[in-house]
Amino acid sequence: MSEIFGWTGRALLVDLSTGITKRIELEREVLLKFMGGRGLGAKIVYDGVDPRTDPFHRDNILVFAVGPLTATKVYTSGRYCVVSKSPLTGGLFYSSSGGFFGASLKKAGYDAIIIRGRASDSVYLYIDDEEVKLEKASHLWGKGTKEVREILKRDLGREFRVVCIGPAGENLVRYACIVNDISNAAGRGGLGAVMGSKNLKAIAVRGSRKVRVADPDALNDLMEKAKIRVIWNPILDKALAYYGTSSLVNIINEHGMLPTRNFQLGYFEEADAISGETLRERIFVKRASCYNCPVACKRITRTKSMGGEGPEYETIGSLGSMLMIGDIEKVAEINYLCNDLGLDTISTGVTIACAMELSERGVIDEKIEWGDAEKVKELVGKIAAREGIGNELAEGSKRFAEKYGMSECAMHVKGLELAMYDPRGAFGQALSYATSNRGGCHLNAYMIAVEVLGVPYLMDRFSPTGKPPIVVYLQNLAAAIDSMVLCKFMAFEFDDEMFANFLSAVTGENYTQETVVKTGERIWNLERVFNIRAGIEPSQDTLPSRLLSPLQNGPCKGKVPPLRQMLQEYYYVRGWREDGIPTAEKLKELGIEPPEGWE
Amino acid sequence: MRVPESVYKELKEYCARLARRGYVTAHGGNASIRSGNIMWITRHASSLENLRPEDVIQVYIDKPSSFDAIASTETIVHREIYRRTPNLAVLHAHPPHTVAMSFFVEELIPPDSEGYYVLKRVPVVEGSPGSPELAENVANALKKYHAVIVRAHGVFAAAKFMDIAYQYICMVEHSAKILWLTECLKILGREIIRPRVF
Ligand code: SF4
Repeated sequence: MSEIFGWTGRALLVDLSTGITKRIELEREVLLKFMGGRGLGAKIVYDGVDPRTDPFHRDNILVFAVGPLTATKVYTSGRYCVVSKSPLTGGLFYSSSGGFFGASLKKAGYDAIIIRGRASDSVYLYIDDEEVKLEKASHLWGKGTKEVREILKRDLGREFRVVCIGPAGENLVRYACIVNDISNAAGRGGLGAVMGSKNLKAIAVRGSRKVRVADPDALNDLMEKAKIRVIWNPILDKALAYYGTSSLVNIINEHGMLPTRNFQLGYFEEADAISGETLRERIFVKRASCYNCPVACKRITRTKSMGGEGPEYETIGSLGSMLMIGDIEKVAEINYLCNDLGLDTISTGVTIACAMELSERGVIDEKIEWGDAEKVKELVGKIAAREGIGNELAEGSKRFAEKYGMSECAMHVKGLELAMYDPRGAFGQALSYATSNRGGCHLNAYMIAVEVLGVPYLMDRFSPTGKPPIVVYLQNLAAAIDSMVLCKFMAFEFDDEMFANFLSAVTGENYTQETVVKTGERIWNLERVFNIRAGIEPSQDTLPSRLLSPLQNGPCKGKVPPLRQMLQEYYYVRGWREDGIPTAEKLKELGIEPPEGWE
Repeated sequence: MRVPESVYKELKEYCARLARRGYVTAHGGNASIRSGNIMWITRHASSLENLRPEDVIQVYIDKPSSFDAIASTETIVHREIYRRTPNLAVLHAHPPHTVAMSFFVEELIPPDSEGYYVLKRVPVVEGSPGSPELAENVANALKKYHAVIVRAHGVFAAAKFMDIAYQYICMVEHSAKILWLTECLKILGREIIRPRVF
């Protein structure tokens, strides 16, 4: 490969079935087309996994990938993405996590780790620059994520960065997550269970190299500007820095969009008791930050009996208002438990909310009452261990509700439990949820920014006008940011032009606003094609029926997003067929070879 | 949190006036009204030309809250003004003559009689938008003066009534314009034949 900046140009191939590891060169063309992180991972899984493969089969591939900006001076550049076929949605899924692991992986000299096969016994992967080996992990198996990280750091050295799974991943809970550093999590989609299915408990990495930057002076200049812009941004410098993501609780509640009682309500009377203000007053210890991030939105917290990180806004909603628990300490403690057991807090909360509703309706025998935090703690333990009713809940809300013929009580899109914004209060967010390749995810076109926060400008949240093109643009941009790999919070201040400038300075390639967004579009379409071939038809671009019926009270009373109408425009803007299938011409235009027989 | 109709009407009216006069551009400027321990302030990046009810955000005077995130970037400045002065209304705009003049003077002494009579002088202070330094400087100046200019940025005015705060902003800009015109005339070779007597 000719001289390369930004990327390392190398990946580590790990075959767990044979125990063989080897370094491979990544094609420059692939890096230019798919960038890194989410895009690179998607390309590797797309090429290497039959879409109909069982996610827990040894043939499924798990990719940990970083991007060209990782471990550079660019803010938030310590993140990594995990990509695989999801056991929760069945689709091509990425999950991104902050912390420091991504930066260490890049410094060890890799753009990606590609994991295939299944180890016969539990193992962990050891990477110390060039030295790579698979080590026995029987002493770690069964342990929580906190202890695993502590043991490995103690045994290997404090400079090692560790990602690992908890008991939930070992037991193939379909929404098990992967945890690293200060409880940062690649939370969504059950990729921790894929790791568990491969008998891979952890990866420990130490890296000592510097990333080569094409134009260090240009990058320095850009970072000077970036610093001032971040300081002036009210969301980054005030809300996120002061309250963390929990600053959203009162704001979203006042807009009548805080999912409450399994999305039966959009307003939680006790929201203030789980708000950012209360968190700061009662359990806040100190701020914490990911690698090279001036925002430091993470919260180290402590209740009377436990301590840890968070809870984040999404967790407060899913384990608080959704379950009618109006006590920040209790929510925090359930959150610590989930983090340690390796469970995605959103899917855990939404699945338990579904169970509470079924219990209330007398559909299941188990007594699970709204607001019963002790019972929730017990359930969280049972889910991770797949014990009793926990075994059913470990399948996720969709499968659980279907089993009892109560699909309407499962709040998911494409199998992924919904994030904490009631889409009846933000029509663009409704479209974003319905069309996300991941399913009920808020991060792939965060329309809350324009529909609630007024960033960069406040749009009428109850109008469909102008929303589809913005959703498409934000989805493409998000895919590009996930592939650089940076934190999406940076998009509260930086636009595609700034991202293009970062990329050009670091890689020496000529990135423009257009090429950045085009790269995102390519990745989006690739994921879409894989998903359709995996059986996720466009008919699943929808919302739970409950969310297509009006709320009876609150600021969103009587509002229903006109989803069909927005979808038609969305498909048109995407350049897809009217039925939501990307056309062969579109794929070719993006440099994707259409699969055989694709029209 | 919904803004009371009377508060909204008042903010809408005076924000629209500032826009009509060209004292704010598309999404610039901000305004607030105090009521007890809360203030109603325009939303971050709202358009003062056509303020909507959802563009008005309620925040506390005595402490920050999570709603600061969606309120004007200058919320911190308004808060400090209310903490240090007995005023009940604050306006902030970017009138062009005032901003231009701020590059050349340490204070604006109105050359016109009405401006001088009401404002006496208008200090020029420093500080980046939304910074604690700016909040401190502006609030301190407004303890003594009706209006204060922020260099290269704009003007803050505070009063018991919105109408009076609006009047102060108009007067500052009017005085800056007169000053500019007289300076231009001097450059054109005209001499002042009778200096002001006030
Ligand atoms: S903004 Fe928060 S989540 Fe994003 S990189 Fe910084 S500390 Fe991490």
